[in-house]
Amino acid sequence: MTTRHYLGVDLGSTTAKAVVIDGLGGIAASSTIAMGAVSRRGMQRAIDAALESAGLETAELSGTVSTGYGRKLVPGVQRTFTEITCHARGTSEMVPGVRLVIDVGGQDSKAITVGSDGLVDEFAMNDRCASGTGRFYEVLARALECEIDDLGALAMQGNDDLEISTMCATFAETEIVSLMAQDLPVADIASSVHRAIAARTLALVAQVGKRTPVVLTGGVARNPAAVHFLSRALRVEVGVPEQPQITGAYGAALLALEADQRGRPVQDVAGADHLFPRTSHDEPGHSCAGCDGNLAGPVDLGASIAVRR
Amino acid sequence: MTVPAMERLVRAARDTRGYVAAWRAAHPDGKVLGVMPMNFPRELAHAAGLLPVIVPDDQEPVTEGRALLPEFYCGFTRNLADQVATGRLDLYDAVFMADHCIQLVGAADVARQLQPETPVFFGMLATSLSDAWAGQKVAEMMNTFREEVEALSGSKVTDESLRASIAAYNADRRALRQIFDERTAGSTAWAPTELQDLVASAMVMDPVEHLALLELARAEKVGQPRDERVRVHLSGHMCHAPRRELLQVIEDSGALVVDDDLWTGRRFLSTDVDEVLEPMEAIGHWYTSRNGNLPCPTRVQHDADWDTWLVESTERSGAEAVIHLMPKFCEPHMLLYPELRKRLDAEGIAQLLIETEHEGIPLEAFRTRVEALVERVLRKRPAYA
Repeated sequence: MTTRHYLGVDLGSTTAKAVVIDGLGGIAASSTIAMGAVSRRGMQRAIDAALESAGLETAELSGTVSTGYGRKLVPGVQRTFTEITCHARGTSEMVPGVRLVIDVGGQDSKAITVGSDGLVDEFAMNDRCASGTGRFYEVLARALECEIDDLGALAMQGNDDLEISTMCATFAETEIVSLMAQDLPVADIASSVHRAIAARTLALVAQVGKRTPVVLTGGVARNPAAVHFLSRALRVEVGVPEQPQITGAYGAALLALEADQRGRPVQDVAGADHLFPRTSHDEPGHSCAGCDGNLAGPVDLGASIAVRR
Repeated sequence: MTVPAMERLVRAARDTRGYVAAWRAAHPDGKVLGVMPMNFPRELAHAAGLLPVIVPDDQEPVTEGRALLPEFYCGFTRNLADQVATGRLDLYDAVFMADHCIQLVGAADVARQLQPETPVFFGMLATSLSDAWAGQKVAEMMNTFREEVEALSGSKVTDESLRASIAAYNADRRALRQIFDERTAGSTAWAPTELQDLVASAMVMDPVEHLALLELARAEKVGQPRDERVRVHLSGHMCHAPRRELLQVIEDSGALVVDDDLWTGRRFLSTDVDEVLEPMEAIGHWYTSRNGNLPCPTRVQHDADWDTWLVESTERSGAEAVIHLMPKFCEPHMLLYPELRKRLDAEGIAQLLIETEHEGIPLEAFRTRVEALVERVLRKRPAYA
């Protein structure tokens, strides 16, 4: 029986996710807390809920890795990874063989191609525009006066033959209101917007190249219409993991597990990070900016060249 | 208290107006020529007694100039238009430019229109460098440039004065190249922002004064061994400086810049003027040979291509990845980028495209992208013995 446990925390723009795994990589507990932009309280609640569900105290954890825009706010982490690396890692574990991960988060969306080794090949992120992100769906739901959880079902009832001319999260709301003022069916508006968003996501995929199998992750993956229209735009089946929101946190926990395995004793894990031939983070010549994190002593999460030089 | 040399260079790089004011105070009869990048031979202006200053993107927000050029023009040209509109370009007694790109020509037109009292001279240089007639056409334009700077300064450009200016700029470039070579070799940890300041100050200052300070700054620099961050080559930004905060984010995200082909970097230093040839012939030769030394997508030359140069450069420097810094919306770079990307993919060199903007750049999103690139390279690094 394994006694080691690892925590992965994904502190995103609108939700905090925490996943506890055991020493074999199995999910022991998870939690998702929606709390608004990069919330420390949300993060702590997510961590507390996951630990409580797993029946663990913080001190019992053998490693913690954080990810997401708020990754450097998470206390006690051994390492931070970007959500790109973590989503690829978590999704390839949940859906073995996946080659293209499309993650739609609260404020950004990403297309990540994954190699046969489960590692990131190429990635592309949306620019500053919120089009096609979770935030955009929230705007759409508000304009259509429906709950966000009901939006997908509504869109699945409609015909997607209305022309949506803008994908700007601000101006789209204006356009949707205009369509509603014309007494057009709400379901048709919803489906048309979903179709337009899928086309936008296609442009993101084009930057990295279409590969299959495709998996959609992030909160938007719970929206059946988003999955349907994306699948239609890509002309391939789009899979969704059982818990699409926690793939980043799960990937972070897996990376914590791998780092721990490599830390005792030094061994080469195919396709994974390799230890640097140093012993501590404060050794001369070492910068924690982007380091592997597998050294003795605390990681300097605020490591800056400006400070170091 | 003596101001350290590096600090003086940084001041000149970041406060063009301050440096020019000090120069004018020391040279009451002197004239300052604003030179648009990238191809005007400053040696000619210097030999005529002018202070040639390569007009920088002063990194101020575009305000009144916003309406003067379309939004799809690059940030640098819109910034130049804004400098004109707000009177910031009145720093110069005249503005000269050699052929560059169509967007910059637009900025020069704005200057000509809104600041009619300031002479604006635009000389076309042959862009098709493989053509047999290119050399002759370039020589003719260089002679025109000579006549124009003589008319502006009221002084003749003699062979002797031109040789002296050529030697002064060459010496400054050589010293800068040596510093860049040290950075690439890993013997001295020059941050990209520091190197940018060194080059940007060279674009503003008198070359003799700059060289003296440069040598002091180099002596002040303490050697530091290279750390194990992911070695990257910065590519792009062919005619103006990327934002300092972006360079900072790149190195703070686990990347170590070991080489570049930036305008405020290797591109500016790529070619010296031949000191053996007749000076006017050497000036023409400088222009026609630059593209072969570091290709530019605004020039056409059949035996020079940027992608090959880039691959060979990463081999020399040991760069593990290339970060493309592409200003929105630099057409020459945009058009060539697919070739660069395909070639680097074929060579198995990791790469990242960052589209930069004049203002409001999303630094945190860029940080995530650079960190993801770093993670990708680290996870594929061979194991240490």
